[in-house]
Amino acid sequence: MLSAPAAAWSSWTPPEWVSSRRLRYGLIGAAALFIAAYPLLSDDRYYQNMIILSLVFAIGATGLNIITGYGGYVSLGQGAFIGLGGYTAAILSTKVGGNPFVWVPVAGVVAGLFAAALGVIAMRARGHTFVILTIVFLFLLQIVAINWRELTNGTAGLTMPLPRWSPDIANWPFYYALLGLLVVSIAMSWWIRRTKFGMGLVSIREDEDKAETVGINTPVYKILGFVASTVFVGMAGAVYGYYLSFVDPLGMFNILLSVQIILSVLLGGRGTLWGPVLGAFIVEPLNEFANNSLGGGNARLLVFGGLMALVVLFMPRGIVPAISEFLERRRTRGRAGLVGERLGAPIELKEREVPTAPAAVSGQTLLEVKNVAKRFGGLRAVDSCGFAVPEGSITALIGPNGSGKTTLFNLIDGTMPLDSGEVWFDGRRIDRQRPWNRAHAGVGRTFQITRLFKEMTVLENVVAPIREFRLRQLNADAVSGPEAERAEELLEFVGMLKYRDVPASALSYGQQKLVELAQVLMLDPKLILLDEPAGGINPTLIERMGDMIRELNSRGKTFLIVEHNMPFVLGLCDPVRVLGRGKLMAQGTPEEVQRDPRVLDAYLGDDFAVEPQVVEA
Amino acid sequence: MLSLKAVVAGYGGGDVLQGVDIEIAEGSVSCIVGPNGAGKSTVLRAISGLLNPRLGEITLEGKRINGHAPSEILTMGIAQVPQSNGLFPNITVKENVLMGAYLRRRDRAFLKRRYAELEEFFPVLTERGGDKAGNLSGGQRRMVEFARSLMMEPKIVMLDEPSLGLDPKALKMVHESVNRMIERGRTVLMVEQNVRFGLRLADHGIVMESGRVLLDGKADDVLNNPEMAALYFGGSVKEPAPEAPPVRA
Repeated sequence: MLSAPAAAWSSWTPPEWVSSRRLRYGLIGAAALFIAAYPLLSDDRYYQNMIILSLVFAIGATGLNIITGYGGYVSLGQGAFIGLGGYTAAILSTKVGGNPFVWVPVAGVVAGLFAAALGVIAMRARGHTFVILTIVFLFLLQIVAINWRELTNGTAGLTMPLPRWSPDIANWPFYYALLGLLVVSIAMSWWIRRTKFGMGLVSIREDEDKAETVGINTPVYKILGFVASTVFVGMAGAVYGYYLSFVDPLGMFNILLSVQIILSVLLGGRGTLWGPVLGAFIVEPLNEFANNSLGGGNARLLVFGGLMALVVLFMPRGIVPAISEFLERRRTRGRAGLVGERLGAPIELKEREVPTAPAAVSGQTLLEVKNVAKRFGGLRAVDSCGFAVPEGSITALIGPNGSGKTTLFNLIDGTMPLDSGEVWFDGRRIDRQRPWNRAHAGVGRTFQITRLFKEMTVLENVVAPIREFRLRQLNADAVSGPEAERAEELLEFVGMLKYRDVPASALSYGQQKLVELAQVLMLDPKLILLDEPAGGINPTLIERMGDMIRELNSRGKTFLIVEHNMPFVLGLCDPVRVLGRGKLMAQGTPEEVQRDPRVLDAYLGDDFAVEPQVVEA
Repeated sequence: MLSLKAVVAGYGGGDVLQGVDIEIAEGSVSCIVGPNGAGKSTVLRAISGLLNPRLGEITLEGKRINGHAPSEILTMGIAQVPQSNGLFPNITVKENVLMGAYLRRRDRAFLKRRYAELEEFFPVLTERGGDKAGNLSGGQRRMVEFARSLMMEPKIVMLDEPSLGLDPKALKMVHESVNRMIERGRTVLMVEQNVRFGLRLADHGIVMESGRVLLDGKADDVLNNPEMAALYFGGSVKEPAPEAPPVRA
């Protein structure tokens, strides 16, 4: 049995004000005010030093959060940009002259340039390979700093002139410069999060291949994200170097700087605006404490390791998300969650005027697959396969499990490179184009196992696709007025509008399929590839989906549909292409295909024709 | 045998199941149908222990099982076949099946005996036992998933959309093997969107909507209930998928 306080706690429901904006901004404002006023209130150099270091790490963590938290790429090279900034200021102020503060903006530019160069190379890799490349980058810079003596003075390091202002305010310029940089960093992080740029980064984190198929030009997003995550860090490094008045390779390119920055991001909460700052202001004081009170030396390594283990065990997403999740769980307890309602309800099955006339089939070919092949090891998944999709048609692609239908989709939309053959779309050859270019040209695609961006809301998922790439667009609001309207229209079209603000991960499989359909329609493609649209969907909704496809078709969309639900396919599609063992086995009208003995043998089964499949209109 | 009483459960954004009562009789085949997002899969998750109900009680043969870990519930005799793609593609079919008895992995004699029994039941194990699971066709994969769930000799097998993504021929294969499981006296609880496929296999039909049980009765009665048919089973597409011949008639 629970004790009384424990029972009271377990049934505690947070009052409204606990999760209110006012409380959150109040706390942030109070903390900011305290930090801003601290040097005026106290002359304690020990705590001033601790806050200065925390600010450096908070800037580093806020930057890292852009590429790691939003973009999903973990970098262990973040500390290198502090070092780059420090060295830039030290080298320029000693060789060229002037106060190191003058060179702070230059340090930012240098950091950004290095980040862009590293990005071009490292961004081809994903996962562990990327992490290792960033470590290599860090050690490479350290080796250069050690060996290029003319520039860096080797291991002896560079000493900058001591500041000439009054010792009474000795720390102030550094303190407020860093505080200013932190404010700018947070502002940039906030800006990125609410624009198309940030949304593109988040979709890369959630599912990079999928992001490419909805038209996101991933290399540009990643490289710009990497630059954005380092510019202010380089500037902070310059201030930090001047604060120490001394830079050397071992201090400035120490991998522990990177580790501490990553730890701050993970502890506070990756992908949140304030989490990395909070994390930095927890980790750095702990670091100082370990150095001073736990015997120094490597005690801090134990503290870092222990903290890391605790985060992974108890708060895998970090402090800020853990708190908001806890409050949300308590707040919604006992309320009805998201459950599917009666399909007959007037809203969902609103009578639509379905134009029945099929699209004018122009007689031209929209998509042509010529002699395409793809192997996986010894397995020929697709083998000299060719067929055409007429413009304005609803073409079916059927065939047994494992006959290469989904692989063919992957070759058409560019998710996989083909081994040989050609793919022509709308009069142009597209098989060498990147997936996002094919999406911009008008190829849209859904997946058999749905691939929504799980941590985004339904509405964000639907507005994520990008129809064409322009740099200006990165600055556009993530969810803007006309776009949101269009997305809501599409969500209503698939009957999912009431779920618009729900994270996609909360939806059931069938609901995700419907949202994915709305998502691909947002691209406004000429050709829509649907991979088993009816799988896992309620029969009544399957009918509605058939009506939707006919309606879209009458507005000029061409479809290529993979599906096993034969009555659905045969009632909707014409022509039908049949795949078998990676080759085109048969094609023709639904009637012809149903009677083809090869199709009956390989796919439908001998007894298919015994019970005639009557499809009532 | 298995009973859910006033079960309330959810994932953190509120309750998905809002007081679900279900009774499953021994040797029966029950099928849950209903609109997308009605909470069908959530019922299976609550039973198998992947989701702990907030209120209510789930009992197996009179013993309370909610609150236990999934592995304990598996040991008590409830196995679940997940929605799709549950096999490890890079290990062999046999290794995949043996994973089903991971909790008794030290008991070599038991593993050997069970595997031999299952080979008799699913010929695909004899034919493709040494191949990597990733190289099987969709229907064969589903067979292997079934075999894996039967390794621990469960009293109840739960199937989450067994027909999903299967071509017409594979669908027949799955139909037959579910029938054979039933003949062997397994109690089966499944969730199906392919309503006719599911309800023809079952003797007990359950319609769920908005996290509640809307209708509970004989499968035939549920299938022929005009209101249910109009709402959920599709009016104009008479046959959502080609039917396998009714074996159990």
